[in-house]
Amino acid sequence: MSQRLNVFQVAPAAIEALLKTQAYVNESGLEHSLLELVKMRASQINACAYCLHMHSMDARKAGESEARLYLLDAWRESDLYTPRERAALGWTEALTRLSEGAPSDEAFAELRAHFSEKECVDLSMSIAAINAWNRLNAGFRSRHPADRPRKTEAAA
Amino acid sequence: MSKRLNPYTTAPDMMKPMIALEAAVKDSGLEYSLIELVKMRASQINGCAYCLHMHSADARKAGESEARLYLLSAWRESELYTPRERAALAWTEALTLLPQTHAPDADYEEALRHFSGEEMVKLTLLIGTINVWNRIAVGFRSHHPNDRAPRIEAA
Repeated sequence: MSQRLNVFQVAPAAIEALLKTQAYVNESGLEHSLLELVKMRASQINACAYCLHMHSMDARKAGESEARLYLLDAWRESDLYTPRERAALGWTEALTRLSEGAPSDEAFAELRAHFSEKECVDLSMSIAAINAWNRLNAGFRSRHPADRPRKTEAAA
Repeated sequence: MSKRLNPYTTAPDMMKPMIALEAAVKDSGLEYSLIELVKMRASQINGCAYCLHMHSADARKAGESEARLYLLSAWRESELYTPRERAALAWTEALTLLPQTHAPDADYEEALRHFSGEEMVKLTLLIGTINVWNRIAVGFRSHHPNDRAPRIEAA
């Protein structure tokens, strides 16, 4: 599975532009743990290994638990996520799967119950940003670093 | 998230053959690490938190790395999985998403390049079994134990 091209080298100005959007999101005030869950969930749906590799590491370094990352595909069926996180994850899925249909009134009402109007926009921008990164990395087959062992000694 | 009924107490005799089936596929001879990846992938697709909770813990106890579990939904785009595992994961997706995929020839033939006929039967039954467990757990809204700290100190 060979990399098609290196997006960072071929068009660095394009990447710079997306990094500026990402910086806005990072400084928007939305909690970082939430932003990481959103990035992971979108990257799962879009099957972007490069992004899952990067964001799982970032999330774990910031203190996220293994369990909340392993169960993320099934967040609806678990008590590990707060109501605010659940609303954000539902919105993440609605916008990421936009081609399957516009987000329902119920999905928006659920979002608005937990986020201010500005936060709704900032969250949507974060979802749009990770979707953009997914498309770049999956589209051009970016290879994640091979810096994590295949198998480790049994976890403590 | 309200609880529904408990299948084990409601119809224990019906659950006995399921438990026996689970033992059969677990002891079939397929490598344990592969069995856990297949269970995790099917459980991701079916959105079964109960199963993801159980099988991620089992996989990690048996020595599986965090990375191979975090990247599993994007296995096609990662070199962390062996060709044999990739063939098994493709077959897992083909059978779990059966209404869409109709179990295509390409996935079947690729699987046969890595698994004997007998292993294909074992693998197919394994995939079927985890899909049954997913439907029981999600259908009856089984709650996974809350025995893993929601947030921990940075590793």
